[in-house]
Amino acid sequence: MKIAAQDAPRPRHFRAAEPAILFTVSRQFFAIAAHAVQEIRSTDSIAGAASEFGCPEVPKVRHTFERARRQYYVVNACAHFGLRATRPTLVLILRQLRVAVLVDRIERMTELPSVYDLPLGFSGEERRWYRGLTYIEDHVIPVVDPRGFLTPEEFRQIEGVPAPLSSSQELEGASK
Amino acid sequence: MMALENAQRDSFVLLQLAERRFALPAEAVAELAPPVRLHTFPHTSSLIAGVIVRRGRILPVYDAARALSGKSSLAHRFYLVARRQFGEASEMSAIPVDGECELVTSEARPRSESAPTYICSEISLGDESVGVLDIEAFVRAHENPATNDPAEART
Repeated sequence: MKIAAQDAPRPRHFRAAEPAILFTVSRQFFAIAAHAVQEIRSTDSIAGAASEFGCPEVPKVRHTFERARRQYYVVNACAHFGLRATRPTLVLILRQLRVAVLVDRIERMTELPSVYDLPLGFSGEERRWYRGLTYIEDHVIPVVDPRGFLTPEEFRQIEGVPAPLSSSQELEGASK
Repeated sequence: MMALENAQRDSFVLLQLAERRFALPAEAVAELAPPVRLHTFPHTSSLIAGVIVRRGRILPVYDAARALSGKSSLAHRFYLVARRQFGEASEMSAIPVDGECELVTSEARPRSESAPTYICSEISLGDESVGVLDIEAFVRAHENPATNDPAEART
């Protein structure tokens, strides 16, 4: 056996640095490829357009909104990752997926020097959540897989639910 | 501490987990790493506490002591870095251990019937009998409680 000094991970494959967005959810850092995000909005700015939504099988989705005639489902990242609930302030609207993600804050834009495979020892849902891990400024940060926020099965469960009521309709129903 | 390169076929690394001694076949052990920073992020693999960065690789850390005793062993400990097999692939993994490890040579004998399934054999050290840990079986038993061995409760 040997005792050796601390070091940084070495990339197995060299490739161009990838632009990414670093964001936080319940004080945890995550990275997402910049090209996977179409738009970043404040929760306040979409609140008017969002409708409440309920699907018992997918409790992490509680709101939906329409955009360019497409229904987007809003995933609460705290619930998705099993983190302590916080008050999200931003929404990442994903590209090519009808998914928007509630996050606490954007830390900064950065470039991912490398994305390392998630170690094989990780065998749970995280294999779907993450593309891999990156190493930035002495921190190991998971790089999320945008497709992991809602699986095809979760989409099927959600879309099997009757069309959402708008907030105003709900209020009308409650007053009768 | 002796160099791993000198290890013989019946060489074992002794490690301390949750105040108990276990042995690992020396050929599975790469190094004893200092208590470097543990990086954590959300996941659902119950036995894994996080990852460390060693020799240019990101290694999962298995908190084996917590699985055995319910008490985490992550504070001020060394990491024993050992190889795990995943079919054709293999991966270095880290286990927090209490203090120094020893390298011993001994004859392995079949495990006793009362031993948990993650003990694949036993070695004798004077009057003491030490179980040889099967990392794969240990992880299976603790990541999927349904397959837990009742014998584990007795140990």
